[in-house]
Amino acid sequence: MSTRDEAAGKLEPIRLTGIAAAEGVAVGPVFAHVPGELKPGREHILEGAVEAEMERFRRAVEVVAGQLSEVGERLGESGSGEEAAIFEAHAEIAGDPELESGVEERVRNLQSPEAAVLAVGEEYADVFAAMEDEYMAARADDVRDVTGQIAVEIMGREVAGLEVLETPSVVLARSLAPSDTARIPRGMALGFVTAEGSRTSHVSIMARSMDIPAVVGVGAALDGVLEARFVAVDGTEGYAVADPGPEILAEFESKKEGITAERAALEEFKHVEARTRDGRRIEVSANLGSAGEAEGALAWGAEGVGLFRSEFLFMERAKLPTEDEQYEVYREVAVTFGERPVIIRTLDVGGDKSLPGVDQGEEENPFLGWRGIRMSLDTPELFEPQLRAILRAAAHGNLKVMFPMVSDVGELRAAKEVLARCRERLEGDGVEVGVVDAGVMIETPAAAICAAELAREAAFFSIGTNDLVQYTMAADRGNERLRHLRGADHPAVLKLIGEACGAAREAGIWVGVCGEAAGDPALIPTLIELGVTELSMGASAIPRAKKILSEL
Amino acid sequence: MNTMEELLMVERETTVGPEEGLHARPAARFVHTAKQFSSRITVSKDDREANAKSPMKIMSLGAKKGEKVFIRAEGDDAEEAVEALATLISARG
Repeated sequence: MSTRDEAAGKLEPIRLTGIAAAEGVAVGPVFAHVPGELKPGREHILEGAVEAEMERFRRAVEVVAGQLSEVGERLGESGSGEEAAIFEAHAEIAGDPELESGVEERVRNLQSPEAAVLAVGEEYADVFAAMEDEYMAARADDVRDVTGQIAVEIMGREVAGLEVLETPSVVLARSLAPSDTARIPRGMALGFVTAEGSRTSHVSIMARSMDIPAVVGVGAALDGVLEARFVAVDGTEGYAVADPGPEILAEFESKKEGITAERAALEEFKHVEARTRDGRRIEVSANLGSAGEAEGALAWGAEGVGLFRSEFLFMERAKLPTEDEQYEVYREVAVTFGERPVIIRTLDVGGDKSLPGVDQGEEENPFLGWRGIRMSLDTPELFEPQLRAILRAAAHGNLKVMFPMVSDVGELRAAKEVLARCRERLEGDGVEVGVVDAGVMIETPAAAICAAELAREAAFFSIGTNDLVQYTMAADRGNERLRHLRGADHPAVLKLIGEACGAAREAGIWVGVCGEAAGDPALIPTLIELGVTELSMGASAIPRAKKILSEL
Repeated sequence: MNTMEELLMVERETTVGPEEGLHARPAARFVHTAKQFSSRITVSKDDREANAKSPMKIMSLGAKKGEKVFIRAEGDDAEEAVEALATLISARG
């Protein structure tokens, strides 16, 4: 027991302030993870052992890289893409040819491979740590983590890690590497408090994906609480209290109840049909980036798919997808959603992303370039197979199609002609096709301004607020200095949305929104006011949106 | 350089596209692509040169969005390698 509680007769709470890295609160016993410094077993090797020692190093690399890729694959399959990427990057570092040549040089000078790999790792870590960029400086830990694992493997030693956690605890550590968090038995970590780290550190990313409250970057103050018995963590506010007294415990208890109640309240809204208080029906749908996300979206209460990005089918592959491959994917989503509508957006890529086998040319301004419907109309070899696949898949569900980047009614007419021609040919060949409504995305100011003409040709409008804001405000959404011009609530943008809604009402077609604004609690009331009847968002935002609608 | 015959050498200057520069994920993707070619490939920025098949060397360059880098490849598939890597590096990611 520490001296301070003997002196005071009771424990004085100590408050640590850090970065709110993963929201939620937790109270639990402390588990201090303070691994000893990793020291090589041997410093030197004997002459004549060089080849055998290098072989040991290579085998260790193979084992470590294999384990890392295996964890990466497992995470990838369970839909945790962000964490999977961390482990895949670590596997790449383990197999880095420069790491091997650095180690080899040292081993030839009779340094032991475990000492050599730690030393080379430290050299690279120093380079990264010295970089100004906070994100790059954090990569120093990645290198130390990986080279440390290789050294341990060479020595054939098991280091006691977080796998020994037997009671649910709050883990306190200087820093936590992915290889640390991955070892924690399920349900044993209640919260994380670390001395180092930022919101983009691995521990923060992992904590958010595991839904475990975390406070990082509390600094050297952590050392003063490693012997505490209990700790309370508030990952929403970004602080922790060691040895909290009854008052603080009560406060945390009520915070926890508040969060649980809020989650339960939202839970209730997951599967209700979204309506406003005066009974207007608003469809709340999900934006999907791949077919694999469909089941998850339904679980969040999606009433349809307001935006199915078809790009993933075309990217990161050597060849373009065939009509049949696309058909399988569209059908899968259509079947999963049954009677509920699924809107497929036709291919929307520009010069900022490359397509296999398509010469996109060099573009000065890819966001103002040959993209979306502009590219589709010029490349029937891409456009027609996609439309045929959609028409065929529509026989198995409620599919709709929408065209991106339309800035002129002529483009919409041309696209609809291609769709009609594809249908005729398929029907002529006796292929089963379904009914497919064709809508248009309102994401260029031109489309909003000419909404009346478009409304006469389109079955529905879907407002892509992200691009509409960027094009209306002439402000690149990736430019941090232009943050203040990024809101969809700017009067200029709202005016255009109002314009589109007015034209749609006149023509008797419905309007949806599929940009970030659709899931923004502050904007939902305005959008509904303007006449929007469908909101499509990231699936996890659906329960909250339904709740907000029910209060309008 | 090969002793018997001149190997094909191709080089090209390009601009880093991804918002986050040539950091962990873009670097990993870059290295992954580089490894698919048999040529010896290097990336240089200012006066520093890095083995394109080494993620740590690539990250050590600390190349940021908008900065110019030089890709050089020597070998049978030098042309294809430079083409593929220049496209990748300049894409916005």
